[in-house]
Order: sequence, then C-alpha cells, then structure tokens
Amino acid sequence: MNILKKIVFVFLLFVLSLVSVFVFLSDYEQVGEALVLFLAFLAFGVVYFSVKNLLAKNRDIALAIGEMAAGNLNKQIKIEKRDELSQIADSLNNLMERLKSGVAMDTSVSRELEQAKADFVSLASHQLRTPLSIVKWYSDYILCGDAGEINAEQKKYLGEIFKTNQRMIDLVNALLDVSRIDLGTFSIEPEPTDIIKKANEAVKKYESIIKLKKVIFEKNFEKMPLLNLDPRLILIVLENILSNAVKYTPDGGRVRFTIKKTDVNILIKVSDTGVGVSRELRSKMFSKMFRAADAKKMVAGGNGLGLYVAKAVIEKSGGKIWFESPSMEFFIEEGGKKAWKNLMKSGLGTTFFITIPLKGMKKRAGTKQLENIE
Amino acid sequence: MSEKKTVLIAEDEMAILDALSNKFKKAGFNVLRAGDGEEAYEIAVDKKPDLIMLDILMPKFDGITVMKKIRAEQTWGNKVPIIILTNLNDHESMMEAAENNAFFLVKTEWKLDDVVELANKKIAGL
Repeated sequence: MNILKKIVFVFLLFVLSLVSVFVFLSDYEQVGEALVLFLAFLAFGVVYFSVKNLLAKNRDIALAIGEMAAGNLNKQIKIEKRDELSQIADSLNNLMERLKSGVAMDTSVSRELEQAKADFVSLASHQLRTPLSIVKWYSDYILCGDAGEINAEQKKYLGEIFKTNQRMIDLVNALLDVSRIDLGTFSIEPEPTDIIKKANEAVKKYESIIKLKKVIFEKNFEKMPLLNLDPRLILIVLENILSNAVKYTPDGGRVRFTIKKTDVNILIKVSDTGVGVSRELRSKMFSKMFRAADAKKMVAGGNGLGLYVAKAVIEKSGGKIWFESPSMEFFIEEGGKKAWKNLMKSGLGTTFFITIPLKGMKKRAGTKQLENIE
Repeated sequence: MSEKKTVLIAEDEMAILDALSNKFKKAGFNVLRAGDGEEAYEIAVDKKPDLIMLDILMPKFDGITVMKKIRAEQTWGNKVPIIILTNLNDHESMMEAAENNAFFLVKTEWKLDDVVELANKKIAGL
C-alpha cells in the first residue's frame, strides 16, 4: 500500500475518532462511549506507529545513503512492506550492488580509464625497454670481447651488470603481463601442442640452477597426445611453477615434475622438499605478492608475480590451480619417521597442482600476448 | 665464393643503431644505416640489401608502413627477408609482421650474437 493511501487511511481513522469524540460528547449510550474511546485510542496508536515506522525507514535510508557516500557499499536496507520508501530502499540496494561490481561506473569514464591503462602498458613497454635493451647489448658486446680482451675482474663486474639488467627486463615483462591480466586484454590461442616438449623446454631453463644447487630433479611424464593448448602460455605457467619449486628447495633437495592424464583432465604436479608455505602466506600465494618473506637466502631473481600470472592464465583457460603444503609426495615413499625428519630439516615441502581439461584451453580473444616471465 | 652481404638497419635510437651496426660490421656484413622510415625506404629500393631490419617506432614512416611499402615492390620487395625490431609486443604489430612474412623480434629478448645468427639464417632462406 503506498504512502498516500496510508496517510489517507490514517487520516480517515483520525477523523472517525474525532467524530466519535463528538458523538461521545453528544450524550450517547455507555457502549457507544466505550466504543468511541476505543476507536480514539486505536486511531492514535495507528497514527503513532505509522509515523514512527515512516520516520524509521527514512532514517534507515538516510543512514544508508550516508554510508554509500562514505564508500561503504555493504549496508543493505531491509524492506518490509511495499510502498514508495521501500521502493527507494530497493533502488538503493540495487545501486550499491552495481557500484560494488563496478558496472555502475559512468561508461564514458571507464572507457577513458581503459584507454589510459592500455596506453600506459604500451608506453612502459617501449619506454622502459629501450634503455634496458641498450644496456643489454652494450654490456653483452664488451663481455663477448668485441671491444677487446677483458680481464677476469672486468668480466665479473660486467657479468653482474648484464645479469641484473636481465632481472629488470624480466620484471618489466612481468609488470606488463600483470597489467594485461588486470585489463583482461590478454589472448589465449590454443593450437595442437606437445605438452611434454613444452615441459622439457621449461625444465631446460632451470637446468643450471638445478645443477648448481645439486637438486635431485625427477621427471615423471606419461605419454600425452597433442593437446589444444596455447604453447606460449603453457610454457609461461610451467616455468613459473618450476621456478618456485627450484628456488625454494634447499641444496640437495628434491623436485618432482609429473604430467599425467585422468579421465577428463591433464594433471600437472610439481612437488618439492622446500620451505613449504606458512600459514600467513597461504592466502597470499596467488596474489601480486613480492617474494616470500620467509624464503631463506636463495638464488636471486624472481619477482613474486609468477603465480598471479599462472593462476590467471590457467583459470581463464578453463583449468584449476592449487597447492598443498606440507606436501605428501615424498613422504610416503621415504617411509614415515625418516621422511618426517628429513622434511622437518629442510622444510615442509609444497606440491602445486594444475588441471587443464583434456579438450584443451578455451580460446580467448585479446589484443595482447603475454611475455615470457621469470 | 661468398660475397659480403648487405644489411639495412633502420632505427631512430642512436645507441641501438650503433650497437647493431658495429656488431654486423664485425660479423662481416656491409651495413647501411637509416634514422627514420623515409630514409629506410629510399635506401631499400635504391640499394636492395640482402636483409632489412626495421624498428617500428620511427619518425616519418613507422616500421610497419615501411615493411608494407617494401613488400608492395613486386619484383624484389616481396622476397627480401625483413626483421622487425621492436620493444612493443602488441598483437596487431605481430599479426602485421606475420602477414607480411617478416620476423618479429623483441629487442630485450635477444642477444646481439643471436641477432646476427638469425640474420644469417634469414638470408639463407631458413
């Protein structure tokens, strides 16, 4: 019932009670008197509670608008009866939902914002990379001896310059990937891909670190058919997961890389006997976090964005990615107590799981391709 | 008898142009240099080098435009190996390069020795 009707009803009731009072004053029967009094109280009660209710609703709505203006979009207004105030409350609740999901943005503003973000990515891409490629080539030129023979100390220092510059290149690549993921502009282009070949490529990238740290690296690959995958993206994902495993495993530790088929999925597992994932880090693993604070002195490099990118790629392709830590992978075969002692010495270990549907990655139109990142 | 191959390098960033020129000279190439797209196109049609390397962002004509103009030259332009040198990696540029049978090279991903090796491969038709 709308407010007008309510007011009219209340008014009529009031008039009725007024009339009743007059009737009362004009000397009627006892019953009439009692009835009149009763009606008067009833009318008063109705008026009082209606106004109180209206005022309360008004106050609720005023409060909610106040909170919205302050940025809190979580206070939904309770609607009881159907009247204009309830409709206002309804609309406000709707508006809050839309604001929260970002749809309510002024579309012309959001288009400008998208363009600005895309321009930034382009700008950073070119402007940051130009000096990086200059340093890369000039230090490389001297290192190769093209500018004349260099002594051991010069080689060492130049080598450090080259390596550090490469880290900056990798970081710029990662930042660009992150902004493309945030913008949603990256593309997925599946084609028949040999996933084992890609896995071996990914492993090759970390061969020298594996050798240096004397990591026991096992490959456990089932025979796989050609799968519909984006070869660049699957390589990025595998490299990122392997990078973590190798980096956070201590010298002499174990890493096992498994690829197998289930009924409907490709299952990829990377297990390590490394530091594991602490409780505080658990929820931040896939965020844009920069390197685990509790990672002991490990091989330098990496930028903490790898898992963020891997998750975005896998989930957008229709797959799933998760981890378990402590990892049970090596525990069972090494047998109970000994394994537990070993694990506690080196860490709790982590296993990353990735599933991709056997039918392949979902194609995704986009304007940019992702880089290869560390 | 292997004659000296000629490579045209078009790049407006002087430091990069110098680095590439020196490397290719040391590798035994005859190097032609261009600082903008217009110069690049003129040298290309005049000297008909064995390999053309084009930066995308250049004054006058950008690399993609120069690439298309060269490819439009029916007798020679559509056969010469072209390498696009860039630090962008947007999809449109990559597609344009692929459609025009040009190799897309992101400068930060390549060492100089590998660029020379790539150049030799492209000239040999691989």
